[in-house]
Amino acid sequence: MIRLISSYVITLLLLVMVNGCKKDNYEKPSSILSGKVVYDKEAVGLRSNGVQLELWQHGFELFTKIPVYVAQDGTFSASLFNGTYKLVRLPGNGPWVNNIDSIDVTVNGNTVIEVPVQPYFVIKNASISKSGTTVTGTFSIGKIANGGTLESVTLFVGKTNIVDAVNNLGSAGINGSDITDINAPVTVSLTIPGSLSGQSFFFARVSIKTAGVAEHIYSQPVKIE
Amino acid sequence: MHLNPLIMKRLYIYCLMATGLFLLTSCMKDWLDREPRTILSDEQVWNDPKQIVALLANFYDRIPAESGLTDVNNEGADGRLFQWRNLANYDEAMWSGQSNEDGRNNITSYGYDSWYLWNYTYIRDINLALENIEKYGVKLSEASKRQYSAELRFLRALNYFNLVKRLGGVPLVTKQLIYDYSGNVESLQQPRAKESDVYDFIASEVDAIKDLIGNDGSTTRANKYTALALKSRAMLYAGSLAKYNGLMAAPITTAGGEVGIPASMANGYYQKALDASKEIINSGPYTLYKNNPDLGENFYEAVTKKANNREVIFVKDFLLPTRKHVFSYDNIARGIREDNLGSSSVVPSLNLVEAYEYKDGTNGALKTRTADNTDYIYYNNVADIFSNKDARLYGTIIYPGTSFKSLPVSIQAGVLVWNSGRNAYDMVEGSDLGTTYSDGKLLTGTSGPHRSIQEVSNTGFYLRKFIDANDKTSTRGVQSDVWWVWFRLGEIYLNAGEAAFELGLTGDALLYINALRERAGFGPNSLTTLTMERIRNERRVELAFEDHRLWDLKRWRTADKVWNGNSSNPDAMVYALYPYRVIRPGDAARDGKYVFVKMVAPRFRAPRFFRLGNYYTAINQSVLNNNPKIVKNPFH
Repeated sequence: MIRLISSYVITLLLLVMVNGCKKDNYEKPSSILSGKVVYDKEAVGLRSNGVQLELWQHGFELFTKIPVYVAQDGTFSASLFNGTYKLVRLPGNGPWVNNIDSIDVTVNGNTVIEVPVQPYFVIKNASISKSGTTVTGTFSIGKIANGGTLESVTLFVGKTNIVDAVNNLGSAGINGSDITDINAPVTVSLTIPGSLSGQSFFFARVSIKTAGVAEHIYSQPVKIE
Repeated sequence: MHLNPLIMKRLYIYCLMATGLFLLTSCMKDWLDREPRTILSDEQVWNDPKQIVALLANFYDRIPAESGLTDVNNEGADGRLFQWRNLANYDEAMWSGQSNEDGRNNITSYGYDSWYLWNYTYIRDINLALENIEKYGVKLSEASKRQYSAELRFLRALNYFNLVKRLGGVPLVTKQLIYDYSGNVESLQQPRAKESDVYDFIASEVDAIKDLIGNDGSTTRANKYTALALKSRAMLYAGSLAKYNGLMAAPITTAGGEVGIPASMANGYYQKALDASKEIINSGPYTLYKNNPDLGENFYEAVTKKANNREVIFVKDFLLPTRKHVFSYDNIARGIREDNLGSSSVVPSLNLVEAYEYKDGTNGALKTRTADNTDYIYYNNVADIFSNKDARLYGTIIYPGTSFKSLPVSIQAGVLVWNSGRNAYDMVEGSDLGTTYSDGKLLTGTSGPHRSIQEVSNTGFYLRKFIDANDKTSTRGVQSDVWWVWFRLGEIYLNAGEAAFELGLTGDALLYINALRERAGFGPNSLTTLTMERIRNERRVELAFEDHRLWDLKRWRTADKVWNGNSSNPDAMVYALYPYRVIRPGDAARDGKYVFVKMVAPRFRAPRFFRLGNYYTAINQSVLNNNPKIVKNPFH
């Protein structure tokens, strides 16, 4: 008898609790804002989770940013409520000219946008190849905007296709001051580090760093077999 | 006479009311004039030296430090920050305590809000005290009024230094801000001062108060030399910020100068730092601690021992049995802990151990492999690899083969057994501490190191600095009363040396640096030439765990290079040194000897990553929302 009653009580309690939860909870955001950071219609190669865009929404008591991290292929996405937002490109954050104008974004259902940027430099005609124990990357530097000084160019290698200045197993670089002719193709080579020499494949990327900007601009990762 | 009972009753009520009214009026005067019994009035507080000192004690207690000896996190706006765990966040040490704090070994990047402080409640309390002591302190003597005010102004200047080194220029509020209920708060919204203005404010406050402050000989209350020590450090920071920010490929500045000091101001600041340091060294009552002929023990005592210590200038003191902390409980070496829990939380890195040079002045990298890297180097004793190291290594860190409280600390990771079939060693490590190998001798020491057990060193080293050498102090029941050192003469020597070197006075700089090195066992005049690298390394080894490393790397603008987030950069990773006993019967040159393996500490995950946006901490959005005149820091 007691056991019967207590099981009823537990069932009842559970029922109440389940219903209670449902009532208190808010609807979660269901619209997806996605897009890419582009220059000249091309997505910009970046460090994974390195660059942050900010979304701000006016008109509510809580006024604080919604950070949106950009993936290494220049894409990003965020789950949001429908509404109008302002998208801010943080100054000094990405490898491009500061632009403090915000972009008005209206999210209504799934929305796709492009965030245009003006990089200081871009990587053109990148090719990375392996011969023997050496990886060689060759590319041309395209100077897009004035005001940035070329600090260095670097070749990164890593085990997975997330390769950048933070996630890598080896790198080789050339200082900007050692590049006499910025219009000529640049070649960076690197001896394959021990941690990768036994692997059947690895990934590589080249990058350009502008002085005073934390983030490099990268080529898309290449699988080397 | 016969009255109606109803009337009678009414009459009675009237009478009562009249009496009540009478009573009430007579009492009223006294009643409302009574002194409150639970609140002290301003007149009472500001005329009683005992209560003013009690209030000052509160202000001293609230001085923030990024790391410290107790467990206080930034409590809201007040900024009571004194968190010893933060010692494990940089390259001096890592976390080896309870695994729920392992995040300190896996900081993928320092957040832009790291090291945040906005304790204007504290500044308001000081401003209020300064104004009230003038307004209400009628019975105080002029001299004591001047002294208390000077002390309060020192605390305020020290706090502005703690703000400016984190955030750059901040609003310089020096009097109470009072709202006039006009509906317009604009008069209360102050913009940020220039970064250089805040440093200038600190210098001018110190100059104004240093001869009024009194407290001669005190190490827990500020005196003239405490104020000068603040000036010495602050001016050195300002000078190097001016110089090294200007040398960056793209200097970090804001248009209004809230961040970024012009490079032309560098020498002026360096000169002020040198002058203040010289005044302390030449005319202060302090001497470098040299009471113990054992140089390693001497350096430990210089920081940690209280009796006859004339090196410390300003400390946060603790006193058993009531004013105490659990730093020793949490950080003592595992094998000699006196409690059944705790120990080993913050453990020094091999990076720091190797920063201590050899006494002949050569690079401090430990020699574990032969020159051609074909074999280990075999040592007779486990401590031999550390022989001839800078004595400050012993004074700061417990390493294999040393003891603490006269108890040997047993540090051995395992054994290497020669496998003749494979022509290589088999590595055997104990699954527990204090284990014995099948040959009847030690396998893994009672203090580890161990790759995965919590509350055992993961690096092979333990802290000595700030650990209490007295009996039972590592128990939760007794606890420790070791003091925290804000300023000591050793730092002033380094400040003087660095400032002199930056001003081109290399001869003077050598005097100061060599004096410190001589105390560490290097012999007199051990250096004849000086480089900035050398001075930086001296600071690293002399002031380890005293809340300097982060701020030094920031002002030299090297933090983003040293901690660049790249796992192939050895400076960004925390390394460990594991000692092994060799079992190789038949080979007398190797059997029973000790070898060492360097590796990235097994519990260490993400390289330290300091981004350009970390040089100045992001100002909280709520502060920006409340005061539109405040500009953001760069990169945020």
